Amino acid sequence: MTVVPARSSKWVRPVTSQEPASAIIEIDRVSQVFQTSARKDHVALSDISLTIEEGAFVSILGPSGCGKSTLLYIVGGFVSPTSGSAKIKGHAITGPGPDRGPVFQEFALFPWKTVLGNVIYGPRQQGVRAAEAEAQSRALIKMVGLKGYENFYPKELSGGMKQRVALARTLAYHPEVLLMDEPFGALDAHTRTRLQNDLLNIWERDRKTVLFVTHSVDEAVFLSDKVVMMSKSPGRIREVIDIDLPRPRRRSELLLDPRYQKYVVDIERMFDESDEAGPAS
Amino acid sequence: MSPAALLRRVAPVLACIGLLAVWQVASLALKNDSFPTATEAIRAIPDILGDKESLINILASLRRMALGFGVAVLISIPLGLLMGRSRGVAAFFNPLLMVIYPVPKAALMPIIMLWLGVGDVTKTLVIFLGVSLPVIYHSFEGAKAVEEKMLWSGAAMGLSPAQRLVRIVLPAALPEILTGCRTGLVLALITMITSEMIARQSGAGNILFNALDMGQYDTVFAMIIIVGAMGISLDAIFERVRARLVRWSEPQFDMPLSFS
Ligand SMILES: Nc1ncnc2c1ncn2[C@@H]1O[C@H](COP(=O)(O)OP(=O)(O)OP(=O)(O)O)[C@@H](O)[C@H]1O
Ligand SMILES: [Mg+2]
Repeated sequence: MTVVPARSSKWVRPVTSQEPASAIIEIDRVSQVFQTSARKDHVALSDISLTIEEGAFVSILGPSGCGKSTLLYIVGGFVSPTSGSAKIKGHAITGPGPDRGPVFQEFALFPWKTVLGNVIYGPRQQGVRAAEAEAQSRALIKMVGLKGYENFYPKELSGGMKQRVALARTLAYHPEVLLMDEPFGALDAHTRTRLQNDLLNIWERDRKTVLFVTHSVDEAVFLSDKVVMMSKSPGRIREVIDIDLPRPRRRSELLLDPRYQKYVVDIERMFDESDEAGPAS
Repeated sequence: MSPAALLRRVAPVLACIGLLAVWQVASLALKNDSFPTATEAIRAIPDILGDKESLINILASLRRMALGFGVAVLISIPLGLLMGRSRGVAAFFNPLLMVIYPVPKAALMPIIMLWLGVGDVTKTLVIFLGVSLPVIYHSFEGAKAVEEKMLWSGAAMGLSPAQRLVRIVLPAALPEILTGCRTGLVLALITMITSEMIARQSGAGNILFNALDMGQYDTVFAMIIIVGAMGISLDAIFERVRARLVRWSEPQFDMPLSFS
């Protein structure tokens, strides 16, 4: 791939502390084409370019099948794009690494490990001493509201509980970038709100970069600095919207805030318009 | 204990007694020399187990079986797992296994005997061959079915491909692997007896066929009971161990298929 000249010049400049935020993830003209069983090419992602600033909370919003998960997998290094490139801190992403922590839509817990065993797995792999890792893991399990379930196996948990374990398991090894694929999709409204708040608290404390896939406009606006709207067939970026709302955000205040309401309504309108246009062939 | 639980407990015993009763009646009705009654056969068991020569034979059989089974499992599990995770390895070994698969392992014995003699090595090798295929097959299927995202999670935590194979694929595929081992264990017993039928020199199969030659039919049937009991016990013990190892994967209301 050739490098975009306009961009490359930016990277010659040394990064100084005055600069408010520097790009941590750069997705440059990424396309993903899958071979379907019918031996036809299926374009899941088409020409996606996106820069994510360090410490930013970015949501990806789009209809089912528009390639949100695929994009996340490319940043995670689990899938390599058909064309284009993805970089983290200026280095090409060639594979997974502990700097990027995924929380998968399917949880992907280790079923032979207990809740504690799952959460402690990452820190132990990273060489954290057993006692310390256990203390941290227990604290995380408590934070996601699963105190008392430490010795349960995944098969003994509900869907929402599994999702919370998956979140704790990834947070446990302190990735710099969180890649979250509809992490709250399967939760009841109450737990969902609680975990959204917890996630925001963690994020405000650690300022991790978060790439967050969701179906919910409401959730995207509430959490994010930036909402990336995608459209389907082929998956493209439609619009990137900066969410200019004060932090720390409190749900109860935000729901009454006309600016918040406007963001939600505007984004929902945009999706409605594309629905009316019908599916592109 | 509730009546239902009690019934579940005694059901296997009742089934055995029922089987023996049918045998007894059939034998009394047929009045055939080569078909002793159940009581005659059972009465011959202590004679066999009390005889030092027979015990040595039976133990030799068990030793070959343990060795053949053990080596087969140690080789087949890694091979099956590698095949399940790597297209290259699978492409290489698949045709090889497909050729060996339908051949009855005992049919290879004459050739192996020609090369390696009629001793322990030949018989152990045949047992090894008999056990390998189901264990490879189930390890392969188990490894293939491991959820990709689970491996990705491991990779993100920093596990190398080799570590992922040992620490994710192996435990994730364990239920399937152990199913293969259980089949392998029964096949080990079957090939053990078959091998001793062909290369008659020592072993439980040898006792059985010598007795047949000499027309000692009660001993023949007693040996069948002994071998059968060995199979049932080994299977029951293995099932206990298996259930313990994969408790995390069993559905809550499982219906065990075992004698325990
Ligand atoms: N391994 C694959 N092989 C073939 N096609 C694939 C594969 N993975 C994804 N696709 C296709 O790519 C498109 C995008 O899939 P993806 O899972 O990224 O969508 P998504 O936006 O995450 O959807 P959802 O919101 O339902 O999770 C879909 O049309 C899907 O059929
Ligand atoms: Mg998805």
